[in-house]
Amino acid sequence: MSTKMPVNLTINGETFNVEVEPRWLLSDVIRHQVGLIGTHVGCEQGVCGACTVLIDGKPERSCLIFAVQAQGHQITTVEGLTQNKPDLTPLQQAFQNHHALQCGYCTPGMLLTATALLETEPHPNEHRIREALSGNVCRCTGYQFIVDAILEVAGDSKEASR
Amino acid sequence: MTEQAMRPQFMGARVKRVEDPRLLTGQARFLDDIDVPGMLEVAFVRSPYPAARIMGIDTKAAKAAPGVRAVIAFEDCPVVLWQKDAYEVGQPVLAHGEVRYVGEPVVAIVAENRYVAEDAAELVTVHYEPLEPVLDMYRSIAENPRRVHENASNVFFYKKYTTKGFDEAFPAAAHHLQETFRTTRQTAVTLEPRGTAAMPDPASGRMTVYASTQSPHRIRGDLAELLGWPENQIRVIVPEVGGGFGMKANTYPEDVVVVWAAHQLRKPVKWVSDRTESLLTDVHARDDIHEVEVAFEDDGRIIAIKDHLMADGGAYPAYPFSGAVGETSLASRVLPGPYQIPYIETEIHCTYSNKTPLGAYRGVWGPIASFVQEGIVDRVARAVGRDPAEVRRINMIRPDQFPFRNAAGMVYDPGSYGESMEEALGLIGYDTFRTRQTELRKEGIYRGIGISVFVEPTAMASSEAGSVGYESVFIRVEPTGKVTAAFGLGPTGQGHETTMAQLIADQVGVNVEDVVILHGDTDSAPFGGGTGGSRSGPIGGGAALVAGREMRQRLVKLAAHLLEAAEEDIELGNGQAWVAGVPDRAMTIQQLAEIAYTHVKRIPAGMPIGLELVARYQPERSVSFSNGTHVAEVDVDIRTGMVQVLNYVVVNDCGRLINPLIVEGQIYGGVAQGIGSAFLESLRYDEDGQLTTTSLMDYLLPEATDVPRMMTKHLVTPSAGEGGIKGMGEGSLIGAPAALVNAVSDALEPFGVMVNRLPVTAEDIRQWILA
Ligand code: FES
Ligand code: FES
Repeated sequence: MSTKMPVNLTINGETFNVEVEPRWLLSDVIRHQVGLIGTHVGCEQGVCGACTVLIDGKPERSCLIFAVQAQGHQITTVEGLTQNKPDLTPLQQAFQNHHALQCGYCTPGMLLTATALLETEPHPNEHRIREALSGNVCRCTGYQFIVDAILEVAGDSKEASR
Repeated sequence: MTEQAMRPQFMGARVKRVEDPRLLTGQARFLDDIDVPGMLEVAFVRSPYPAARIMGIDTKAAKAAPGVRAVIAFEDCPVVLWQKDAYEVGQPVLAHGEVRYVGEPVVAIVAENRYVAEDAAELVTVHYEPLEPVLDMYRSIAENPRRVHENASNVFFYKKYTTKGFDEAFPAAAHHLQETFRTTRQTAVTLEPRGTAAMPDPASGRMTVYASTQSPHRIRGDLAELLGWPENQIRVIVPEVGGGFGMKANTYPEDVVVVWAAHQLRKPVKWVSDRTESLLTDVHARDDIHEVEVAFEDDGRIIAIKDHLMADGGAYPAYPFSGAVGETSLASRVLPGPYQIPYIETEIHCTYSNKTPLGAYRGVWGPIASFVQEGIVDRVARAVGRDPAEVRRINMIRPDQFPFRNAAGMVYDPGSYGESMEEALGLIGYDTFRTRQTELRKEGIYRGIGISVFVEPTAMASSEAGSVGYESVFIRVEPTGKVTAAFGLGPTGQGHETTMAQLIADQVGVNVEDVVILHGDTDSAPFGGGTGGSRSGPIGGGAALVAGREMRQRLVKLAAHLLEAAEEDIELGNGQAWVAGVPDRAMTIQQLAEIAYTHVKRIPAGMPIGLELVARYQPERSVSFSNGTHVAEVDVDIRTGMVQVLNYVVVNDCGRLINPLIVEGQIYGGVAQGIGSAFLESLRYDEDGQLTTTSLMDYLLPEATDVPRMMTKHLVTPSAGEGGIKGMGEGSLIGAPAALVNAVSDALEPFGVMVNRLPVTAEDIRQWILA
C-alpha cells in the first residue's frame, strides 16, 4: 500500500488541496477526488483523447500524468470553459448548432483540443482542424459536424477552407 | 383536426438537441460518475488461456489484503447465462471448472477502490492445465481438434434454404464464378466502456442497478430471471451512455456478479471496464466466411447465388442471443440486396471456438452481406466486361415491382433503389470519372470508385436484440400544460429526448421545449424493448405519435366542451386550443390542464380525470426496408498499399425524417465506422489463441484525418407505418465497407485485384500487387 501525500492542484482557477497516492492518475484525481466528472476516461492508454485537459493552455492527456506531477500548473477542464457563467461559449454553442456530439463522451476532450487550437491559431482551415483533432477519437459522429462547428468559430466558411 | 395533425411543425425540422448543453458543459452523468459514500469497486481476475482446466484457485492472500471486502468465485455466485430454449450451453458468470477464452472472468475482487481491487487480483493464484484451443472455423465444424463444450456439438446452429427451382436454374446459366469472402473480428469500441453499479436500498429492500445498456427492461428481466428475484424488486436506471452500437444490448457476466455482490454485501458496488478488458470481453462481431458461387448471363444478369455461410460464435452464446446466428441467418435472407436475383441457396454453420463470444455490432449481418452482395456484382461486371453501374441497373428491383419478395422470401416495402444509385452517381460525377481514371493511371495514380446499393431491414417485429416488437409511451400533460413522456428506449447518443419531443409536440400542440422525455428508468418507463436494430425511430417514434394523438383527442374533447364548439372545429397549436376561424374563442393548454386536474367538475361526462395515458405501437408489417447508395472514391498508393478516401457520397432513404440533422449525424458516424471496418479495425488472435490487439494502439479506430468530407442527400419513400418513418441507425455502416473495398478493387483493376476480405490492409494490397 502506498501512502498518501498532499498536493495542491489549480483547476479552473481554483486551488484544491487533495491527498493522493503517488500512482494515482491525474484523470482519476480530477474525477474522483476533485469531483469534476466532465473529464472522461476512454482508454487510459493515451490514445483516445477523452481525458484531454489543458495544462498551462496546452492539451494533455490526463490519463498519462500522475496527479503529483500536475502541482504548480494551471489545469483547465471542460467545467472551466464556461467560467461559472450559465451560457455556453461560442464553441460550445457551435457544437450544438452543428450537431457535433451524439453520445457526448468524447465531447469534453474535443472542446479542449479545439479551444487550444483556436487560441494559438484563430482561423484554421479544415485540414488543420482535422490534424489537430487527430488525437481525439469520436466513435459516433464521423467528425464532420465537429469540424463544421470549429470552422464556424474560426470564422471560415466551409467552402473557403476546402 | 386530422388535417392539422398532418401539418407537422417540428417533425422534419433540424431541431437542435436538448441533450447537448449538459454534455457540453461536463454536467452529464455517465456510469463511472455514479458514486455514493461507501461504494465498493470490483476488479476481475481473467483467464490468460484460451482453453484450460481449472485445477485450483487460491484466494487466501487476496482475501487477507487490506481494503478487500470479498473474493468471489463460481461456487459463491453459481449463475449461468443460459438461454435454454435456444442453446445447449451457457456461460457461467465466473468460470466453472474450465476457461474457454482469454479474458473470461474467473474471480471477482470487491474492494474499497479499484486500485486496491486490482492489487488484490494479482494475489489470486489460479492453477490451470492448458487444453488445445479450438480456433479455426472449418476445423471446428469437423469437431477438431476437440469440442469446446464436452457435451455439445461445436456446430450450434445449422440451417439450409433453397429457392424452388434453384437446382435447375443454377447450372443452366451461361457463366459461373466462385469466391470466398472473409471478415475478420471487429467490435463496437464504444468510447465509454461497459459498466454496472448496484445499490441495495435498505429501506425498501429493492435493488437499484445502474446499467450502461441499450435495453433497460431487458436487463431487468434478465437479472430477475438469473438471480431468481421478483422483477419489481429491481429498478434499472440507465445513466448517460457513451455509445452502444449493439454491443451494449447484451447482459454480461460482470453485470450479474456486480448485482450479486451488492446484494450479498449490502453495499453499493461498481465495476467499470478498462480498455483492455473491453477489447477482450465486449462482444466481438463479424467473424464470418462466405463461400459463394454465382450463376449469371452474358449481359450481367445474376440468376442464382449459392452461399455457404460460417460464423465463429466464440466460446459461448452471448446472452441472450448469439451474434453468430444474427450475422448469418439474416444475411442469408437479405443477401440478394436490392437486386432481383431469382434463386438462392444458403447453408449456415455457426460454431463454437475458444474466442470471445460473438454478439452485435451495428448492422450485425448487414455490413457482411452488403460486402458479399456488392462484391458479387462487381465480379460479375468484370467477368462480362461491363461497367459496374450498368450491371447494377440490369439487376435492380424496379419501382413497379414493390412489394417485392426476394429469393429468400423476404418482402421489401417500397424504396428508391435505382433512383438512389442514379442520384449518388450524379453527385460524385460518375459520368466523367472513367475518363479521369484513365488519365490518372497514365500518371501512375490508381484511383477507383466503389458503389454500394444497400437495403436495411428496420423496425423488425423481433430483432436479434431479443426485444419486443412494440414500444410504449407514458404521456402526461402536467397541470401547468407542460408535457412529460416516458419511454422504454435506451438511447446511446441518438438524441431521443429531442426527436421524440418533436413528434409529441406536433401532436399535442405545444412547443418542443415544453416536452420532457424520460427514458432508461424501469420505475417510470412503461415496458419497452429498448434501442437496437434501428427500431427506436420507427417503433418508438410510432408510439410517440400514437400517444401524442390520443392525448390530442382528449384535449380536443375537453376544449370542445369548454368552448362550446364541435370537436371537429377545435384546433391545437402553440400551447393553445381554439375554435377554427374564431381565434378569440381560445384557451391555453395550461388552462385545460388545470381544469383536467383540479376543477374536475367541468370535465365532460365520461372523460377521465387528469391528462395521463399509456399508448403502445407495434407496426403492422414485420419489417420495413430503408435503402440507399454509397459511392466512394479512393486513391491507392501501390508502393505503400495505403488507401486514401477522397470523396464520399451517400444518398439515403429512410422514409419520413424526424430530424435531418440527427439522420445526417448517424450517416456520417456510420461511414466513419465503415472506414474502420474496411481498412483499419481488426481483432487478431495468434496461433495460440491469444488476442493480440488489446489496446487502441493495436486496434485502430478512424481518426479525423482518415475520414473525408462526405456529402448526403435524402430521398423519401415513406413506410406504411406510423408517420411513414423507417429506421436508419445501421444503414450507413451496412453500405460503407462495400463501397470502400469495391473502390479499392476498381483502383487496382489493372492488377486484376478483387478485394475479398474485411478489413483490407496495406499489407494485403502490397502482396496482391507483387503477386
Ligand atoms: S483516456 Fe486518456 S487518452 Fe484515452
Ligand atoms: S459523440 Fe460519442 S464518441 Fe464522440
